[in-house]
Parts: sequence; structure tokens; C-alpha cells
Amino acid sequence: MRHVETAIENVRMRRLFSASTRFRVALLLFPAFVVIGGLFAGGLLLALVQSLGYFPSAGENAFTLAHYRELLTDQEFRASLRLTFALASVATIISATAGLALALLLREIARRNRLLNVLLQVPLAVPHLAMAVVLINVIAPSGLIARLAYSVGLITAPAEFPALISDRYGAGIIIAYVLKETPFIALMALAVLVRLGDEYELVARTLGASAWQRLRHVTLPLVAPAVVSASLVVFAFVFGAFETPFILGRPYPAMLPVVAQRRFMSVDLSERPDAIAIAVLIALIVTLLVWLYMRLARVLVGVEKPTIF
Amino acid sequence: MNETRRTSLERSAKNIAAAVTIGLAIIPLALLLMWSFARHWYWPALLPREYSVRAWEYIASPPAGVITALTMSIFVALCVTALALAVALPAARALALHQFRGKRALLFMLLLPVLAPSLASAMGVHALFLRYGLTDSVLGVVLVHLIPTVPYSTLMLTGSFANFDPDWEAQARTLGASPVKVWRHVTLPAIAPGLAVAAAFAFLISWSQYLTTLFIGGGRIITLPLTLVAFQRSGDEAITAALSLVFLAPTLLVFVIVARFLRNVE
Amino acid sequence: MNQLRSILILSLLLASLAVSCAGPEIDARLVFTPAQFAGARWEETLERARGTTVNYGMWAGDEARNRYFQTGVAETLKRKYDITLHITPLGDVVEIVNKLLNEKGAGKSTNGSVDMIWINGENFRTAKQAGVLWGPFADHLPNIRHFDEAARARDFGTPIENYEAPWQRAQFVLAYDTARVAEPPRSVEALRAFVKAHPGRFTYPAPPDFTGSVFIRHILFHFGGARAFQEGFDEELYRKASAASIEFLNDLEPFLWRQGETYPATLTELDRLFANGEVDFAMSYGPSFASERIARGEFPATTRTFVFDEGTIGNYSFLAVPFNASNVAGALVVINHLMSPEHALDQSRTLGGVFPLAPDHLTAEERRAAEALPRGPATLPADELAAHLLSEADARYLERLEKDWLEKILRR
Repeated sequence: MRHVETAIENVRMRRLFSASTRFRVALLLFPAFVVIGGLFAGGLLLALVQSLGYFPSAGENAFTLAHYRELLTDQEFRASLRLTFALASVATIISATAGLALALLLREIARRNRLLNVLLQVPLAVPHLAMAVVLINVIAPSGLIARLAYSVGLITAPAEFPALISDRYGAGIIIAYVLKETPFIALMALAVLVRLGDEYELVARTLGASAWQRLRHVTLPLVAPAVVSASLVVFAFVFGAFETPFILGRPYPAMLPVVAQRRFMSVDLSERPDAIAIAVLIALIVTLLVWLYMRLARVLVGVEKPTIF
Repeated sequence: MNETRRTSLERSAKNIAAAVTIGLAIIPLALLLMWSFARHWYWPALLPREYSVRAWEYIASPPAGVITALTMSIFVALCVTALALAVALPAARALALHQFRGKRALLFMLLLPVLAPSLASAMGVHALFLRYGLTDSVLGVVLVHLIPTVPYSTLMLTGSFANFDPDWEAQARTLGASPVKVWRHVTLPAIAPGLAVAAAFAFLISWSQYLTTLFIGGGRIITLPLTLVAFQRSGDEAITAALSLVFLAPTLLVFVIVARFLRNVE
Repeated sequence: MNQLRSILILSLLLASLAVSCAGPEIDARLVFTPAQFAGARWEETLERARGTTVNYGMWAGDEARNRYFQTGVAETLKRKYDITLHITPLGDVVEIVNKLLNEKGAGKSTNGSVDMIWINGENFRTAKQAGVLWGPFADHLPNIRHFDEAARARDFGTPIENYEAPWQRAQFVLAYDTARVAEPPRSVEALRAFVKAHPGRFTYPAPPDFTGSVFIRHILFHFGGARAFQEGFDEELYRKASAASIEFLNDLEPFLWRQGETYPATLTELDRLFANGEVDFAMSYGPSFASERIARGEFPATTRTFVFDEGTIGNYSFLAVPFNASNVAGALVVINHLMSPEHALDQSRTLGGVFPLAPDHLTAEERRAAEALPRGPATLPADELAAHLLSEADARYLERLEKDWLEKILRR
């Protein structure tokens, strides 16, 4: 976000108080404002209103917190909330660690070899839906890896292969997200590492620091902000994403977005406000995280180009 | 002595990491290709027992509905890209080149839809769209796809404009160029890389949308992700693999274009 | 030049967008009230439907069925009635009922997205009660005469009252591989014994999947007596029978596939487990499903089907017209065609499945053709199926049992 910060603080402050400029700026911003304000914020507001009781199709017409109260006592919602937080945390931590490690390892090669950079971005381009569909055939008990294990004599039947799809721990879901988000975090970290160069480490070396000390006291603090802010992005995304847990997860308990979708599409229209309440809660949690991200990005060195899928 | 051993260890680690990265990029595609031509591939066979083009023939045939879905996906994504850019360009210009109150708040509002799922907004506008006949329609789907794409494009284009000096435009104008010429010969070339990247991402975001299309399209507007999920649930693995490749093809193509521009920008 | 081109492309896109959004005009000739239909001659409806397009909301989970309807059936309809059939694929008819409820609530009483739907059971009950079906109409269709009273009276206990037309028949069967299982369990209790003796080799799709739901209904019938559930809703009967059923299924759970930690979310997942040899049984509402899978190379050739000695549940499924259909005339003509002996024979021949028409409501020639229909290697003969047929329960038992299963078994 650094370029944006630069732009903000930029010296190009033009005729601030001229009415015609302000009008012009407003005009330029207007279409985007309509889309974001109307569709996104308006949509959220409408969702909030519907979840608070205004839902004519199901005969509801009065302000009520009933849907949210119901959710608090809803066993499926609580299980789902716990699961979503747990899976998102695990996926984020693993991706961040692996991404950071990958970036540190690839640092020098990346500087010389542009192809690697490009290759690293290929997983980013793959939609989550496609990744989930591929994984299903690879890590299922009767999938590719299991068959490889069978061919070398490790197992004799699919039942002996650990359950990674539709399993209690959501292993398949975590694997899918780790595969997709590790390159993302690695890219963010690499951007910082490559830009910084190795000056700081060289200075530390001449001052007598060992490799481990250099890593711990110079490199990591420099790259940490990028990794942390990228991790927040990953967590927020995983928290609200639908396709991967839909394909790879088990029906109960499912991650929050899957529960929300199921209730929204239910024949029983009275479940719809519950679904909307869940979606609003997801949005609230993500908003909180984005706000945290912005505060961090303001204070620390940010990332150049948000390459987010 | 220790240093050389550690550096050679580091070097092999780096090479392995590079190999893994390359593998992760290529292997899924190779797998999909193989599965799409598989005829009988049940446990414990590592490779398909027979190969056939059945899956590809089926998805190319009109009854399968894949061609329709593909066309619809392309059409929707193109519309979304065009509209998103049309909206994002002026906004990005304002954000990058002007200072005004509430800019930070606006940036927050731009970042939020990029990261937050469109789930809640799509559910929220559904009732409204239903009333005004926008559900089950292409226009409704395009509109709802704008929710994640406009903020994204705006943020990317703001970056492009940040390095842009409007003095160039002023100079061109004093030299007598018309506004159109100024746009074509001064502004556009300067932001072209960022514009291409923003367009590519907008296209990809719209291309991959599932839930929003499902909710607002109401099952009437069928795009490729919907078809993919339907076939995946129906259990036909060869067709699912073939369809995944079709789904991925434009993604990779667009990505290649983006990569070229990104390298130029760096 | 570049810019001019991009402006042109953009305006072209926007223009086509605008055009595609302009909805189709409502053709008054194709939409009329049930009373008008009852009073009109059939030839008039045929005439109105000529040259029109009918949107059929059909479950699209089977590739063979999709292909058959989109090619064979569509061609016949075009040839005989000059009607263009367009299939709207559905994952589950629940989606369309949901949509109709929505549209009714939003006041969208014309220009519905589909003109006819394939429906039965609790979906029919929900739709009929909410008033989102067009009708009554079934008794005025010429081909209704080929179906017997049982097919026209009740649908899962709900009185049909001619709001839907009978079309297909189904009966629950289980499949097993004779190469892996010598003698299948032919009763509910025998199943329990078998599962406990061979842990991890049996599972069923999680309700509310339709087939998973009917499977657990067999347990309910076993404990409550099959005949008791057909009409009305007896709370006491349900409480006693469901308590025993839940206890049975919970008792079974640790011996199921994956120790019952998860159940296949769809029937296709169960099919895949069976095909990959992970479980020893598959199940379906379609008596010829195993033969079809064998023909496609998905199931081993040694697969056979069986029913319980105490009987398995069978039902009819129907065709209905949504209240806001934009082409009622066309829908009625297509529905009537699908009910005809000509189509029933062709479909049974192409897709397999139970022949739905009542033999004594057919001509001698049609009866002979029905008897001559080929039967796959894994399909049970029609008389054996008929001898073990149990009628469906009232939809309310279904809903309650599904809910109890979710609460007391899945979410425990």
C-alpha cells in the first residue's frame, strides 16, 4: 500500500479550496461511490436490516434481535464458528511460516531469475474452486496419493489411508488453503526482501553477527510487517470463503460460509434471516480484521502491489 | 569449512524450494489433463485403465450446456471488466492526484470489499433485486460482480496514477492537443501496464464468482463455476477434469499477459 | 484508432447487455386460468402451444438422462408438436420451490423462470400449501387415463387434487457386489447384524438427501409397521417408532464407514465409494441403477440388487406447473406427452427405470411392448419388485424424521 501512502502525502495538493476542483473530484469519485456505497455498503445495510427482523417474504416486520439470539444458542452455529476460527488460524499460521521460509530460501534466486517470480504467481491465478476440485482426486482415500501408497505397499485398502476429505479436522481444507496462500505470502515477503537488498545484513555481518543472529535481529523484523499484514489478509479471506470448504469439508459441522449458504437456499424461508445474520457476522469479523490491517499498514512498511486472489 | 558446508546446504535447499514451486505450478495441470482423458480409473489403478475422448466430446456438445456457460462467463466477465474500469479510472485518478477530506475513510471502504466476502452484500441486495426484476438476469449478475471488482481495480489503478504527473497532460494541452489526443498519447501509455493488470484481475474475479452468481442469477444465469460444481457433485470425474481445464485456461492466459506487464512495471 | 475501437467495443457490450436484459414479452395466448383450460378443447391447447418454447426445470444429476431429454425427447416434441424444449438444470427441485416461494412473496406472478417442474413428496406439499402451483389441471390431460387411482390420489400422504400429473415410478433397492458379499442381509435386523460383523463397509447418504432419507424411513417402517404411516400424522406412533429407529441408527453408527464420523453428502459420493470398493453396498430409488452403472463401466459386472423381505418403499413422481409460468399451454402439452405410453416405453427402453403406467389402462399392444422391455443383469423382475412394494409415508413423518436424524445422530 506504500504507493498509495506516497500519493496521499504527495506534494501534488492542487488548489485545495477551489470549488471547481472539489466538484471535479466529487464527479470523478461518484461512479465508484455509487457502486461501493450502493451495492456493497448498501447490500450490507440491507442484509443487516433483514437480519434484524424486516423480512416480508417470511412475514416478519418488526425490529428484533431474535435471529442473533437464536444463533447464540444454535449448536450448529457455535460448532461452525469454532471450526471456522480454528481452520482459518491453522491455515494462516502454516501458510505464513511456509511462505516466509520459502521467501527466505528463494531470495537470491528471485533476484536473478524473473521466471521464478512468475511461476510463484501461477498458484495465485488458479481459482480456489479449481484447486479444491483437483485436490479431491489427489488426497481422497481412494485418490492419487493413496494409490501411490498402495503401489509401494504402505496400505492395502482405502480405509487405511488417513481421512483428509470430509474429515473431522478439515485437513483437506487446510491443505488447499496452504497450497494457495503460501505463494501469496512468499510473494509479499519477497517483495520486501528484494527491495531491501542485503545491505542491512551485510552491515550486521561486518559488526560480527552470526547467520542466526542476522536472521533473528535484522531480516525477520524487516520482513515481519509484510508477513503479518499478508497473514491478516489470508485469515480474513479464509474466514469468509465458500468454495473450498463446500467441496472438501464435511456436512456437519461446516465452515460458516457453507452454513450461511445452506440456510439461505433452504425451502424453509424462515431460515433465510438466520443465514443473513451469519453472513453479517462474518462481514463484521472481517471488517475488524481489515481495520487492524490498515492500522498496521499505516505504521509499518507496507506491500507494493496487492496481488490478491 | 563450516561455512562452505552450510552454503552448499543452503544452495540445495534453495534448489529444492525452486523445484517444489515449479512442481506445484505444473503438476495440477498435468493431472487434470490425464484425468480428462480417463475412461476407467478406479482403485487401485495409478493410471487410467483406458483412455477416451468421451469427456471432451460431451462438454463440446450443446446438450451439455458447457458452451452456453462458457459464453455466458466470458460475456459477463467482459462486461464487468469494462464497467469496473470505467468506474475505477476516474476514482483512481481522484484518489491518486488529489488531496481531500475523508480520503482515508474512502481507502478503508475500498479495501473492505476486496477482502470481505461478497456473501452478505449479495444476500442483502437479493431482495431488492428481486423486486426490481434484476434477479435471473445478466444485468443483475454483472452488477453483483461489480462489488468485488470495482474496489480492486480502483486500488490497482491508484497505484498506476500515483506515479503519473498530470503536468504532462497540462503541457500537452498547452501545445494544442485535444483532450482526446491527450488521453491517448499521454495518459493512456503512462497507465497502460497498471490498466492491463487491473483489467486482468477484474476479469478473473468475475470469472471465478460462484455464490454471487448463484444467488442473483437464480440458477437461470449459468456460468462456468456453476457448471463445474454441478458436474463435480454428479461424480463424473473425467468431465469434471475437462471442465476444470476449460475453467483454468483463460485464467492462465490472462495471467501470462499480467505477468508480462508486471515485469515491465517492476 | 485504438481508443475508437475500445469505445465501440464498450458501447457494443453495453448495448447487448441492455438488450439481453429486456425481458421477454408476456404472450397472453400461452397463459390462462385452470378454469379456462378445463373448459377448452385439448386441440385448442395444442394449437396455442405450437411454435413455442417450454422451460423444463429438471434434476440434472444424471448425464444419460440429460442427454436423452435434450436430444431424443426434444426432437420428438419438436416433430410432433412443434415445441422447443429447453432444460433448466437443477441440483435439487428444492431450489426451484425456494425460488417460487421467493417470487410469490415478491409478487412476481408472471414471467416465471420455468414452465414445468418434476416434483414430489415434501416439496410438493410445501409448494401446494404455499399456492405456488398452477392448477388443478391433471384430470383434464388426455393421458391421465393410463394411470391408476393410486397414482392420482396422494403424494406422500398429501392429497394431490390434480395439482400435479403422475409421471414416473420409483422403488428403493440396495446394490451389492456378489464377488464380495455372498448373501446380502434381506431385512433391517439382518442388516444390523451384517454391519456389526463387517465394520466400516456400509454407509448411507446423509439426509436430507432423498435416498438417505428413504433409507432411514425403512427403519421407521420396521419399528412402526409400514401400513400405519400412510395417511395422516400420528404423534404417538411417530414418537415410539422414531425413538426405536434413532436408537437403532445410533447403535449402528460406530460400525459404519469412517465410524460414522461423516456420511456421504450426496448419493453420487456413495456410488463412488461403492465403485472404489470402499463400501459393500450402494442404494437408489431406481431399480435399474445398478445395471446402468454396469453398462457404463462404473460398477463391477458382478453387482446385483436386492430388496428387503419386509418390502421397500416406492413412490410416484409428478410434473407440475408453477403459478407464474410464462408458457402454460406448452407445459401442458409436454406434460401430456411425457405421460403417454409412447414416451413411457421409449424412456424405459433408453434409461431403464420402472415402467410407470398401469397395465390394465393400456391397449393389448402397449401391454405386450411393456412386458418385452429389456431388463439389465442387475435389475430385479417387475413382479418381484411389485410383491415387495411399500407405499410412502405422509410427508410430515419424513420431515420430522429428517430433523430428528440431524439433531440426534449427526449433531450428537
